[in-house]
Amino acid sequence: MGTDGGARRKNTAAREEGDQGQEEPRRHRQQRRRRRRESKTRTVRSNLLPPPGGGEPDVAVKGAPHRWRWSQGGSQHLADNRLKTTKYTVLSFLPKNLFEQFHRLANVYFVLIALCNFVPVLNAFQPELALAPVLFILAVTAIKDLWEDYSRHRSDHEINHLDCLVYCRDEKKFVNRYWKEVRVGDFVQLRCNEIIPADILLLSSSDPDGLCHIETANLDGETNLKQRQVVREFLELDAEFNPLKFTSIIECEKPNNDLRRFRGNIIHENGKKAALYKENLLLRGCTIRNTEEVTGIVIYAGHETKALLNNSGPRYKRSKLERQMNMDVLWCVLILIVMCLFSAIGHGLWVRQYGDRKKPLFDVPQSDGSYLSPVLAAVYLFLTMIIVLQVLIPISLYVSIEIVKICQVFFIHQDKELYDEETDSKLQCRALNITEDLGQIQYIFSDKTGTLTENKMVFRRCTVSGIEYSHDANARRIAMYQEADSEEDEAAPKGGTLSRRGSIGSHQSVKVVHRTQSTKSHRRTGSRAEAKRASILSKHTAFSSPMEKDITPDPKLFEKVNECARCLEIMRNQEKSLSHLTPELADIFDFFIALTICNTVVVTAPNQPRHKVRVRFELKSPVKTIEDFIRRFTPSRLTSGSNSGSSSSLSTSKSTHKTGSSFLSTLSTESTLLKLEAGLTHSSPKMNNNGYGVQPGGGWATENGLKEGELRYEAESPDEAALVYAARAYNCSLVGRLPDQVSVELPHLGRLTFELLHTLGFDSIRKRMSVVIRHPLTDEINVYTKGADSVIMDLLLPCSSDDSRGKHQKKIQSKTQNYLNLYAVDGLRTLCIAKKVLSKEEYACWLQSHLEAESSLENRDELLFQSAIRLETNLHLLGATGIEDRLQDGVPETIANLRQAGLQIWVLTGDKQETAVNIAYACKLLDHDEEIITLNAESQETCAALLEQCLYYVESKFSDSGVKKSLGKVNVGVTSLHPPSPSAAACPNLGLVIDGKTLAYALDRTLEDKFLSLARRCRSVLCCRSTPLQKSMVVKLVRNKLKAMTLAIGDGANDVSMIQVADVGVGISGQEGMQAVMASDFAVPRFRQLEKLLLVHGHWCYSRLANMVLYFFYKNAMFVALLFWYQFYCGFSASSMIDQWFLIFFNLLFSSLPQLITGVLDKDVPAEILVTVPQLYKSGQNMEEYQPHMFWMNMIDATYQSLVCFFIPYFAYRDSDVDIFSWGTVIMTIALFTIILHLGIETKTWTWLHWTACGFSILVFFIVALVYNASCSTCFPPSNPYWTMQRLMGDPMFYLTTIISSVVALLPRFLYRTFQGTLFPTQLQLGRQLARWGPKEFSVHKDTISQQHPIGEQGLQSSASKGSDNSGPHPQDHSPLASQSGHQPASVTESRSAHRTANVNAQSLKNTMMDSLRGHSLVPQRLEGAVQEGPSGDSEGESSTKEVSPLSSILDLPDFSLLNWISSTPLFNGFGRAFRLSQSSLQTDVLGGTFFSVGSQLDQDLKGLKRETSDCFQEKVKGTSAVCHNSENLETTFL
Amino acid sequence: MSHQESQEMKSNNCQGLPSRMPDNTAFQQQQLPAWRPSLTARAVLPGFFTTGVFFLSMGILLILSAKSVKEIEITYTDICSNCSKLRENASNFYKECTCSISFFIPEKMPGNVYMYYKLYNFYQNYRRYIISRNNRQLLGEDITNVENCAPFQRVSNDIPIAPCGAIANSMFNDTILLSYYPNSSTRINVPLLSSDITWWTDKHVKFQNPKSSNLASAFAGTVKPPYWRKPVYQLDQGNPENNGFLNSDFIVWMRVAALPTFKKLYRRIHRIQQFADGLPAGNYSLDISYNFPVTLFKGEKGVVLSTVMWSGGKNFFLGIAYTTTGAVTWLAAFSMTAVHLKLKKKKAFFQC
Repeated sequence: MGTDGGARRKNTAAREEGDQGQEEPRRHRQQRRRRRRESKTRTVRSNLLPPPGGGEPDVAVKGAPHRWRWSQGGSQHLADNRLKTTKYTVLSFLPKNLFEQFHRLANVYFVLIALCNFVPVLNAFQPELALAPVLFILAVTAIKDLWEDYSRHRSDHEINHLDCLVYCRDEKKFVNRYWKEVRVGDFVQLRCNEIIPADILLLSSSDPDGLCHIETANLDGETNLKQRQVVREFLELDAEFNPLKFTSIIECEKPNNDLRRFRGNIIHENGKKAALYKENLLLRGCTIRNTEEVTGIVIYAGHETKALLNNSGPRYKRSKLERQMNMDVLWCVLILIVMCLFSAIGHGLWVRQYGDRKKPLFDVPQSDGSYLSPVLAAVYLFLTMIIVLQVLIPISLYVSIEIVKICQVFFIHQDKELYDEETDSKLQCRALNITEDLGQIQYIFSDKTGTLTENKMVFRRCTVSGIEYSHDANARRIAMYQEADSEEDEAAPKGGTLSRRGSIGSHQSVKVVHRTQSTKSHRRTGSRAEAKRASILSKHTAFSSPMEKDITPDPKLFEKVNECARCLEIMRNQEKSLSHLTPELADIFDFFIALTICNTVVVTAPNQPRHKVRVRFELKSPVKTIEDFIRRFTPSRLTSGSNSGSSSSLSTSKSTHKTGSSFLSTLSTESTLLKLEAGLTHSSPKMNNNGYGVQPGGGWATENGLKEGELRYEAESPDEAALVYAARAYNCSLVGRLPDQVSVELPHLGRLTFELLHTLGFDSIRKRMSVVIRHPLTDEINVYTKGADSVIMDLLLPCSSDDSRGKHQKKIQSKTQNYLNLYAVDGLRTLCIAKKVLSKEEYACWLQSHLEAESSLENRDELLFQSAIRLETNLHLLGATGIEDRLQDGVPETIANLRQAGLQIWVLTGDKQETAVNIAYACKLLDHDEEIITLNAESQETCAALLEQCLYYVESKFSDSGVKKSLGKVNVGVTSLHPPSPSAAACPNLGLVIDGKTLAYALDRTLEDKFLSLARRCRSVLCCRSTPLQKSMVVKLVRNKLKAMTLAIGDGANDVSMIQVADVGVGISGQEGMQAVMASDFAVPRFRQLEKLLLVHGHWCYSRLANMVLYFFYKNAMFVALLFWYQFYCGFSASSMIDQWFLIFFNLLFSSLPQLITGVLDKDVPAEILVTVPQLYKSGQNMEEYQPHMFWMNMIDATYQSLVCFFIPYFAYRDSDVDIFSWGTVIMTIALFTIILHLGIETKTWTWLHWTACGFSILVFFIVALVYNASCSTCFPPSNPYWTMQRLMGDPMFYLTTIISSVVALLPRFLYRTFQGTLFPTQLQLGRQLARWGPKEFSVHKDTISQQHPIGEQGLQSSASKGSDNSGPHPQDHSPLASQSGHQPASVTESRSAHRTANVNAQSLKNTMMDSLRGHSLVPQRLEGAVQEGPSGDSEGESSTKEVSPLSSILDLPDFSLLNWISSTPLFNGFGRAFRLSQSSLQTDVLGGTFFSVGSQLDQDLKGLKRETSDCFQEKVKGTSAVCHNSENLETTFL
Repeated sequence: MSHQESQEMKSNNCQGLPSRMPDNTAFQQQQLPAWRPSLTARAVLPGFFTTGVFFLSMGILLILSAKSVKEIEITYTDICSNCSKLRENASNFYKECTCSISFFIPEKMPGNVYMYYKLYNFYQNYRRYIISRNNRQLLGEDITNVENCAPFQRVSNDIPIAPCGAIANSMFNDTILLSYYPNSSTRINVPLLSSDITWWTDKHVKFQNPKSSNLASAFAGTVKPPYWRKPVYQLDQGNPENNGFLNSDFIVWMRVAALPTFKKLYRRIHRIQQFADGLPAGNYSLDISYNFPVTLFKGEKGVVLSTVMWSGGKNFFLGIAYTTTGAVTWLAAFSMTAVHLKLKKKKAFFQC
């Protein structure tokens, strides 16, 4: 900023200044305008050539940048590559910042009021003094802005001064330049692992195929490597690319922010025109990978790059609380106006009562001796009163809130639980002003892949030929990784250095090498930080964490594979055909071949980018034409010119087709075609029979001396890589892939090269992919298909049940299907692998039609689809795989907890329905005992009908759910983990699954209401196959229609729109790229951290801020009211008894610190409780801390307190000779004490900081008062409070008045709080009491809970069965048990109940009880967990049961007599009703349930049980500690 | 490359080490040891009882002490109604009017006895009135400094007023003399002191006479405030020290009262001869030279004789307030006990 020449700045300033924030739209507008004026394209020429307009040749390359050339030419204004995100310059800071600050109405108000003081008639205070607070506040904000801008400037500077290699004409080589010096038209050379400085058209690459791999994670969040291709013409250049010879002109579209599009033409000197695609463009911010060196020409630079156009900067959001607060500020304004009006009228009357003639002595005439008329006096007074009472509009509120939020953000940042060591990232708050919204979220919209899951696909198990290989060792290994991770966390909490980070995967030496290399290369360019970043990112790049790579083979299967390989080897040696293999072995063999080759995985050597191989040793492409086919498959392999000619003509017609086709690898197609088109008449690639048969030691891979272990697989989707790694574990490893062949290393057989005839890529409609290969061993043409089970199973060869083979096959299929179902239940991603053998004739036939389809102009996609379907039929099932997309740590628990917190969780994923449902089950979003409504509609009408039907169904369920639900529960014997959400309190558990298409219909204006009313009834909603737009529409719908607070969480580029729409957007950082993070308000490293973020920090932020805002209103109102009351005693003349200095500094100095400290540090409930009792979060959702009436309650309290604080001194000093300022100082002191003590009542947690702050405030007041009153007797006109405080402090009256006023003022609130806390404690208060058990006890307790928790339903189920098992021995040994574990009422109950209701399953009874209670009691199922612990307690040891007992004793809830008492007390009506309800529902359950026959007896049993328990308890538990415990416990029961 | 990213980079750069793990301090993790008071009946009961005890005893003490204060007030606006009438007309400004009031003190007033004048409905706290003064002038540094004194800054011919401003202008100018009648024929003037009726700081810091050989010359070049009869240097003819800005009555007046009804210390009884122990019971009379007009604004004037206790004058309010608060606190405490016991009983019963 400002370091460069002014000219340059001028050139770019206009377009660049407003990159951030609100200025963005303006810029866009400018751009749009410009775009309209100018042509739609941009033309880029090499900077090394003379300018196009024939001006003087570009003499100076170095000194005079090309910029002036462009501007002289006048045709175009191209941004340079300088990044400028700052708002201000040194000069513009002051005016611009002030201008911005005055956008805030409050600031204008305060300045106006301060200015009013300069008008003599109105002035209430010393004018200069009145300006002080306003200036202070403006200054604080300005300093904050300045600091932010400066840090932006510094980061800009850093980026601008990164190095890159730019071609210099003078030196005829690439020289180092700063990024900011890069211009459009420059030639830039990039090395491996460098970050691309601008949008660059790729002209040359060291890669033999003219490819360049880039990692776009920074941009779109996709972690896989993307291939970029050299512009075709330059691909064929034999010599090194020479920028000086570049004479072509590039025409392309204007800068835009579409990352996925780039259109343009390159016009060569000879007039030839060739198209450019996005595959040719390297985008700024991406990283070059696996490619040694690339060169390109800059097309867009600086702020015109796609990356920066996409970065809209942080948004200004206003939190819900703040909106509400602003309403109340308006109320304050109203109150202020009323007060002033009242005073004005009062003053008018007061003046009038003296009449015109009888002017009293104290009425001061104007300078000319006349008196103001009452009306005029009233008008003036109105304005003066506004000045005096201005404090009512809390001047420092906004600043305080900002400070508090910054501190809150600081603390959120500092939370080490929100730090993820693996990615070395911690939570980032990108939006500073919506922290409290985190505490009020009602709906969470989550992405799935990468958010709930790790996006690390791990091969888990497989089925081959109907036999399941469970890979137990593999499962253990995966589990071990988890443990290892956590151990590592514990061992090294401080995080490691770079090298240490590398060594985490120390058994992967490759990676270490790679890391260090990349680090080095970056040191060279001088940016270590970036290198580090890059290395961190690269860790996630290629789906190659050790966990994914090292798969432990199943011994059985391994044995079979070996056997198979041995057989094959023998057979090959004996020249026998493969058909001699047993079908099972053949299947296994094919299975692994399919795993290895049926994918698009690219093999790379990590530490050695591919060198450009000058002599291309073979170049073949997939079969493109029938001639090609014939050529390849006729033994003579005659090629003729005519053939290739016709092929070119055939394919030229295809060249119109767009890149969108998902079928063939279009890139290679195009490259071939273009080659042909360009008239490079080498007859089609040289034939080489190397491609056939066994080729040990052939291929480029070995040429480069790669060993197998060093290979890295780079796949477009992580599951592909997982399968390849799995196959490698069975020694069947992919070693090379070229466009036309795949090399596979097999045990015993060595390297086989399969000729790749076709790849039918994966698409979402077919849900499968296929490869057509020619098998090197059998020379057969095989089709390997891999796809979703639902699809593949339908495509299998129908097997006749007549012959044994068919029967066998059928059996295999049904077995496989069974296993698939099992996998699905486990939440694995399932894929079926199938195979088909084609005869040459069949293949030729299919190829014919396929080529026709490819070459057809219209309906091409449709035809290709048909063609693919034709190929993929009559498959032979080989097996199935189960891949685990591992859930992130703690996702199910987090979801369960968030649910309990009353949050509705919707998952919006782009994934297919099956996967999504599987994952939903895995993360406990859906339950197996839950009814799932699946909405799949093909048209608007069906969708409408479906919705209607479902609504009706739900409605009917809704009405009689009560009984049904409990019935279901009893029968199943499993209790639901989650209490139903409030909106669907009595609703049966319903899950809604909807796919993208249906969602589109459902989001239609006519149906959205229905959809919404259905969706909100469901416990969980799962939208599959949804587009980013749909995601945002869903969020918008919920947000607008239900007026709910929404949170969207996602990690990828596809989540950006939804993140932006939601009230709070959360990005998952560390997993994928930056796109989601850039759009988000908060970025967390892991999903599970959402729990702490919302439940703890969200709650805290909300309650702190809500309390602070309320307190602020109270404080100012109370203070201002004091002044107002005084008006009644000074003729409404706007005098104030409180000295103006105290008035002005009251907010700023005396009362600000404690409230800030409380606003930042107060914890209404400790973190552990908030996490363990998620229900407490509901207080935020229901806005319990700051409800509209609370404002008024506070106002009333403020009025009362001010009355007390005014009138007690009034009466105490009435009739005395007190002077105004002494009296005012007394009142001021009282007010200050009252206000601070009030805060004390509201403060829930006192740390030394609170004490200090309160003490400090009072101390500051006294010091200021003493100093001020002693400093100068004449300095502060008009007031003259010399020695007032000193004198007051020697007067006992002062103390007496202060004490009684404060006490009387606060007594009602204190009493209210006490009674309310005793009689009707809120959940939060109960939570607080829970914490009073002491940290140690509680943490142990928490441990038991958290141990219990993850077990989930299975755990409950098992412990349930354990419970009933125990019921046998229990009666005998219950007394030793009871005595052994001091207070253990629950388990005692348990044993007793088992005893008493001998023939009733005790545990189911318990479940029933729990069930009915759950709906009403807020005791979370953790408590339930504790109870479950009860029966098994003896086995768990004494300690655990002991800790559990306090909680579990709560579950002695069937204290129905207590309930009766409670409900008989009117105070307890609410609770009573709830409990009675639960009681009756329990009885209904019991009667309606399986215990019908024993129903009444059961009731008695319950009572008896109760009595006995209490007897027993009384015996065993003595002393007051028990009583104490009990009292705590009872309070908790209301939870 | 956004701002955010680059910031990240930078932060790494600075730290040298890549770990961004936050420090595990109690403060940063918000785990500072804390006291969590819980406002339940049980917890606050002791506090309530002790507060109650304190307030009750304090209240009784205050009431007793207020009771021991002897105070007598004589309003004389109505009694001297002829003078009041006279003063309503400004044209009678220079006419003298005296008024004598006899009264009876039933009980002896022991100790120091103070004499106050009391004004009703005199809004000395009227905003424009309060600000109409100049402290610098009163400090005697520059007696021509009449800033802020509008409208009583100067008289028409631009001569500054000393002391300027509305407060000074409206100074209370009745003179009150107290006489004691030990018997019906004897009349003893009660010796009154005008010293030490101001704050020490006022007399010594805030108010100073201009430095000059004599006061009259010191105030040369200024005029008296329009409502005054005598210039400022002739305020107390009996005591030359008590003149100019240092006149005690003037200083007392300049200390603006907080409320529209107020009293100001006028004199204190010189404790000599028969008044050594205060004012004996008996007949007294006040001789008032009535100058200050109050009836215009429906005001009243009075004289107050009072003794003083540590807790101030004869004001029962604080005592009553303390007693009441103490009682209320006890009441609250009892009801809380009831609630607590009831809850506890039920809890104990059901929990076992």
